[in-house]
Amino acid sequence: MNQMSFVGQQPPPLPPVPVSFTGERRKFFRLLARGAALELVTVGFYRFWLATDIRRHLWSHTEIDGDAAEYTGRGKELLLGFLFALAILVPIYLAYLLVSIEVERVQGFGSFPLLLAFYAFGQFAIYRARRYRLTRTIWRGVRFWMDGSGWAYAGRALLWGCLVILTLGLALPWREAALERYKMQHSHYGDLQGSFEGQGWEFFKRAWWLWLCAPIALLLFPLAPFVYAEFKAVEWRWWLSGIRFGGVRLESTLPRRALYGLYWKTIGWFALFSVGLGAYLGFFFYLFFKINGVTKTHPVTSDMITASLPILIMGALGYLATILSLNVIMRLYLLRDVWARVAASVQVHGIEAAANVAARGDPVSALGEGFADGLDVAGF
Amino acid sequence: MESAPADATVRKPDAPAIFYDGMSNRRRTVEVRFNDQLEIDEDGSAPALWAYADVRRADSPPGILRVTSLSAPALARLEIRDPAVAAELVSRCKQLGEHLSDGRGVAKIVGWSLAATVSIVLVVLFAIPLAADRLAPLVPPALERRIGDAAEVQIRTIFRDRVCDSKPGQLAFSKLVNRLREQAGLDVTPQATVLSTPVPNAFALPGGRIYLFEGLLAKAENPDEIAGVLAHELGHLNHRDNMRALIYNGGTSFLIGLLFGDVTGSSAVIFASRTLVTASYSRKAEQDADTFSIGVMQRLGRSPKPMGELLFRVTGKQGDDALSFLASHPLTEDRLKRMSDADRSPSGPPLLTAEEWTSLKAICGSSN
Repeated sequence: MNQMSFVGQQPPPLPPVPVSFTGERRKFFRLLARGAALELVTVGFYRFWLATDIRRHLWSHTEIDGDAAEYTGRGKELLLGFLFALAILVPIYLAYLLVSIEVERVQGFGSFPLLLAFYAFGQFAIYRARRYRLTRTIWRGVRFWMDGSGWAYAGRALLWGCLVILTLGLALPWREAALERYKMQHSHYGDLQGSFEGQGWEFFKRAWWLWLCAPIALLLFPLAPFVYAEFKAVEWRWWLSGIRFGGVRLESTLPRRALYGLYWKTIGWFALFSVGLGAYLGFFFYLFFKINGVTKTHPVTSDMITASLPILIMGALGYLATILSLNVIMRLYLLRDVWARVAASVQVHGIEAAANVAARGDPVSALGEGFADGLDVAGF
Repeated sequence: MESAPADATVRKPDAPAIFYDGMSNRRRTVEVRFNDQLEIDEDGSAPALWAYADVRRADSPPGILRVTSLSAPALARLEIRDPAVAAELVSRCKQLGEHLSDGRGVAKIVGWSLAATVSIVLVVLFAIPLAADRLAPLVPPALERRIGDAAEVQIRTIFRDRVCDSKPGQLAFSKLVNRLREQAGLDVTPQATVLSTPVPNAFALPGGRIYLFEGLLAKAENPDEIAGVLAHELGHLNHRDNMRALIYNGGTSFLIGLLFGDVTGSSAVIFASRTLVTASYSRKAEQDADTFSIGVMQRLGRSPKPMGELLFRVTGKQGDDALSFLASHPLTEDRLKRMSDADRSPSGPPLLTAEEWTSLKAICGSSN
């Protein structure tokens, strides 16, 4: 007679759960427009709060298994991180200047390799910035967190970067795989260990012909956005499908052509705005020259400038407004819409492994984000 | 035994809330009661009590009210999906949205940013020129010479085989340069070289080395013209203009970059503002170098006017240029006028003999 087994069978695995993005496009656009206006008024200082608001919107409208994530970072943290980073970067820049002077005395133009040091620094900043963003991400009351060394990462990124240059770009898939592995092995959700199982070879298989097309695409402009958009789509899908947290597995079914439309729309708006700005500025320059009677023998003087100041200010404002609008468009199409499409393509397998995760990990400072802002690098 | 999800047996018709205790990510279904504190009740465990004054709102998708408490673990979250319960909670918690960015918070940000902008502009317009003027003389000559050495190596690399080295020409040139250096109180040991390139220019490196381009030499008609230009360059050395420009440009670029971040398509704006700001600073430095040159030429008993004429020959009339307010030098016509006003008849010996002048003109070997 069969004894009832007290250990019992494993419950059947749950079906994969979708990720859904519920953010309204109009609401996001209003956020961007308001943010752009404030960036103008604050001469750029508002960017920390705008970045925070964008992330809060994106995170809190992304639902996994019915529960939305949460971004707990704040603009003030980014501002402080930026100021700290500057305090560190200024002496480093000065030291770089002095060292390169010494090096130049010995060997002309020998200071170029010192730029590698800045590249490594930028990679360090990218690692730490990701760590900041990850530790500010909460799902179901438990934090994601990350350990590991930014400098170890920067060293790896530098070596792999040299390899990519030597192979004219062919080694890129393996570089991304290696770096992502390092990042994910040091990432955790509560007490779940992260890992990355994407293979460089898989990425290469899907994207090698894009590498062949790239030189042609640079010459024949209309091809370039297609090539780039497809590269990005392939990259997103490969990256997401390799992510693991404990027994939880992500999978993305993003089609290759998913991002064509977004890049083309962006380019379309850019072209439209450039033409518009050209016409606008041309009109104001014409007005300025006509009103002041500027000719070859009667050139621009400082009196004319003060007299026609309103015209010049209108021109400058038009320029600034265009730049801000282009920023809004880029963020709308290439940040939010890409996020929405990518999120819609993701499914989470093995969610039962994340059923009872203990909280771990602490938030880290935004110093990495500050470095990234100060060095003007961006990454994920 | 099958493991059942926690809420399968305790689902009540009015269980409106989900609770995360901040220690694990288990979804707990709870009942919410509004007593003198917010009571969060889960079957089988002690209720959590949150004071209304401590409750704060957290980000959530539309349709859900998500709150936390200052006295609870940092990541504890209570999620309420029932609109009536949510409304009740909102009415009882007076400081629900205290920490979120609202109108007042944004106004503070705008205010501080404007203050920061004003102070940065003031620093750029006043403090940095002052700092450059004060700090440049403090740079030890040894360091300045090192900077000059570094630049020298780069120049040697670019102009490797363009050094003009006919011996009589080099002797004449050194004689001319050292007479000027003595008058200017500068060290006579650094080299002076003519480089074979059609560009009409001349410059001096920190540390004292002088470079004259053949293009300028070819356009000159007498030694006084070249001497005036070289004296102008020595003026830059005497005033430590290189170091001052370095400190000034470096500081200004840094602050303007800091100010704009990267929001306004900043490369164009930064370039424009930086150019406008540094152009007037450098015009002043050029004027002072002209003054120095006039002084040196007059003390040598020669007239400064030939230099102005050489300039005019090289640049032509500049007043036509519509963008003259961006120029790094004062207008050529203005400089010629200044030199002409300082004209004197020669009271000292010629700086070079006719023979030396001919050798100098032929220093690069090609026909002049």
